[in-house]
Amino acid sequence: MDPAPLRLCVIFFALAATVFQTSCRKERKVDIATREKILLLGNGGEPKALDPHLVSSVGDANILRSLLEGLTTFHPSDDTKHEPGVAERWEANDDFTEWKFFLRNNAKWSNGDPVTAHDFVYSYNRILHPEMAAPYASMLYFLKNGEAYNKEEITDFAEVGVKAVNDHLLVCTMERPTPFLPDVVKHTTWLPVHQPTIEKYGTMTEAFTDWQKPGNHVGNGSFQLTDWRINAHVKVRRNPHYWDAENVKPNGINFYPIPNSYTEEKAFRNGLLHYTYIIPSNMISRYREENDPSLRSETYAGVYFYRCNTNQKPTDNADFRRALAYAINQETIVKYVKMGGEQPAYGYTPPSEVGYKPPNVIGHDPEKAKAFLKKAGYESGEDVPEFTVLFNTTEEHKSIAVAIQDMWKKTLGIDVKIQNQEWKVFQQTLFDMKYDVGRAGWIGDYSDPTTFLGMWQTGDSNNYTGWSNEEYDRLLKESSFARNPEERYRILAEAESILLDELPILPIYWYTRVYLISPDVKNWHPLLLDNHPYKHIDLIPSGESGKEEG
Amino acid sequence: MISEIHRHGQDIEKGSSLGRDAWLRLKKNYLAMASLWFFVAIVAVCYVLPLFPFVPDPNITHPDLQSQPAFTSATSMEGHDVFYLLGSDHLGRDIFARILYGGRVSLFVGFLATAVSLTIGVIYGAVSGYTGGRVDAVMMRFVDILYALPFMIIVIILTTYFGNNLWLLFVCIGAVEWLTMSRIVRGQVISLKNQEFVEAARSLGLSRWRIIFRHLIPNTVGPVIVYTTLTVPAVMRLEAILSFLGLGVQPPNASWGSLIKEGADRMASDPGLLVYPAIVFGLTLFSLNFLGDGLRDALDPKSSKD
Repeated sequence: MDPAPLRLCVIFFALAATVFQTSCRKERKVDIATREKILLLGNGGEPKALDPHLVSSVGDANILRSLLEGLTTFHPSDDTKHEPGVAERWEANDDFTEWKFFLRNNAKWSNGDPVTAHDFVYSYNRILHPEMAAPYASMLYFLKNGEAYNKEEITDFAEVGVKAVNDHLLVCTMERPTPFLPDVVKHTTWLPVHQPTIEKYGTMTEAFTDWQKPGNHVGNGSFQLTDWRINAHVKVRRNPHYWDAENVKPNGINFYPIPNSYTEEKAFRNGLLHYTYIIPSNMISRYREENDPSLRSETYAGVYFYRCNTNQKPTDNADFRRALAYAINQETIVKYVKMGGEQPAYGYTPPSEVGYKPPNVIGHDPEKAKAFLKKAGYESGEDVPEFTVLFNTTEEHKSIAVAIQDMWKKTLGIDVKIQNQEWKVFQQTLFDMKYDVGRAGWIGDYSDPTTFLGMWQTGDSNNYTGWSNEEYDRLLKESSFARNPEERYRILAEAESILLDELPILPIYWYTRVYLISPDVKNWHPLLLDNHPYKHIDLIPSGESGKEEG
Repeated sequence: MISEIHRHGQDIEKGSSLGRDAWLRLKKNYLAMASLWFFVAIVAVCYVLPLFPFVPDPNITHPDLQSQPAFTSATSMEGHDVFYLLGSDHLGRDIFARILYGGRVSLFVGFLATAVSLTIGVIYGAVSGYTGGRVDAVMMRFVDILYALPFMIIVIILTTYFGNNLWLLFVCIGAVEWLTMSRIVRGQVISLKNQEFVEAARSLGLSRWRIIFRHLIPNTVGPVIVYTTLTVPAVMRLEAILSFLGLGVQPPNASWGSLIKEGADRMASDPGLLVYPAIVFGLTLFSLNFLGDGLRDALDPKSSKD
């Protein structure tokens, strides 16, 4: 070899070796973050808003949980329990129709203003106000006249069952007996907003104003908003005015919107995240084989299903929807497409420990499916008018949609189209009901079957299917007056069997939460509803994470 | 008499056309010839092979037979016997069949969008160049404006308005790709329009359109052909980028671009999903580029010495 290229080669390899060495020695982003006690979380899609009255997705609720605190708050290891939040203590009357919340004196907003009972009244007025058109207002229908006010049947908010007796006593009068109210008020929709801030940047009912921008945002949670860059990150840092500030363990949290699970998994592997929102199905088996302790798999109270638009052909026909439902092979999807240990959904409400026995009647049955298709008036699948399955852009949803598309083709001979939309656009399309069949997932908001069943009542703001059944509505109302829990669960099961007979929804599987989490993250306990109160989470460097991967 | 001339004619060296000269020159360029045959073979395989029954339906799923390696035969749980030449993807679809059908889409987009850009670009450029003056200035500034618009943003806006649609993709790509073509043709026409044959045509009283279409455009054919062979791969690459962003073909259908995207996501567990379509796509792009280079040298021997 000619000496000149040889020398070049030597220089090149020497350089390459140096670069390689320095890259090995370099501290990873998570290690720095662990030292500074900043939690780096993958958080699914870009948040729609940081306003508790406008959001309905899990990722948005995760961010709001750090920024705002409700009357009660989440327990670090048990989602059926609740911890005191802004309210120090609470009590109900004998039949659970009136609840008194005693607010602590030292609760403050992040600008130093005290949090009072009036703030809560203002917030509940805001979310229930018809002009606000809050997508999740139905969570406050527990309040007396809440529904009537939201649907413009009454116009005076004074008639709604929430009163501030003084600055530190909030009284909620319920529409029906609600023994689980302290569980409900943890939810995003029941969080307070700061009146002067809202009104500085717009009127009370104006949506998407500048109040939710960093610098303007005022919250009462353990953290305050410091930075929000679209499609890059949302950063929250310690709120010095928080009443329990000395017990808040992390100094801050960075939420990263990473809708592509493959990207997210790579980011985790390269030390950019402490925690992934999900994990791609093809990587689960690899992590299992390596016995990697970062992989966690937990029961999660949620159901994955398809909504059918019952206002238009062909999905307005119940027999046609039944044909679609029975042609889906849930076992195949769970076993070969999802692969995360999910349960095939034979019903709608996920199996839970509270004692509710949901009817399980759905399941793969090609003969039944074909019979229902005939009954719906279609000789073969080719006669069915064209329709589209809509899903938000992720690889998992696409794989499932493609698998179901092929099942419908094989079993029923129907050629459906599938289409994907970006998460924000997708939510709006669903809200406007401009779809035929749409992908959906529902995670329980509190530990009770009504969190799943309530949304299918006529005109519920999360219904989006146009489905309405008088008997179903009646049974749901009746259930809240039941004498004992067994009686109540029996009535709810009866309602659910109507839902599973009419099938405005096509159940697919019950969730299992599979995700990756760094061993540095402590106190991250498995939770049925996955609502982690961030203030308890600690970051302690574990020896193992120091070494470079690969 | 007549037979005499005829015999003479055979003795005289036969006149050689521009095309024949170019073809002879091209034949000597082995790389370009290999590329030509490779490209013809790819087109034939993508369009003809799926007509035979042994190539399976690219969209049929066998979820229990996912991620099979190449050369696997298996029986699915539904009792279908399947043979995977290049393995299967995460839903048990045949990668070989998907590459063939994806190739149909990619090549179709490539040719159709190129045809659109060719038609618009050549006519626009020739008219602009021949007319000259103020018309030329206005027409060329319009091209400059279109050049300045960011392509991706236009496509994203169009897809949100009209929905994802393969035809829209052709229109979008064609509408962007004609710009360079029109500039090239305009330059050629300007250099040709004062030559004697055009003057002659004009003095014979031919109409403007006849001069443009019969005399000028045929003389620009060299650069146009070269640029066309380079446009086809550019367009296929654009389609791949759009499919990569999820704006191109809609699932379950595939193009080479969308196959490569799916493969890139799963490359850690299933390298075949990325490697096979990437090889085919890469080789096709290479062959078209080599062919374009070869054609340029063949049609314009002076430029090859640069």
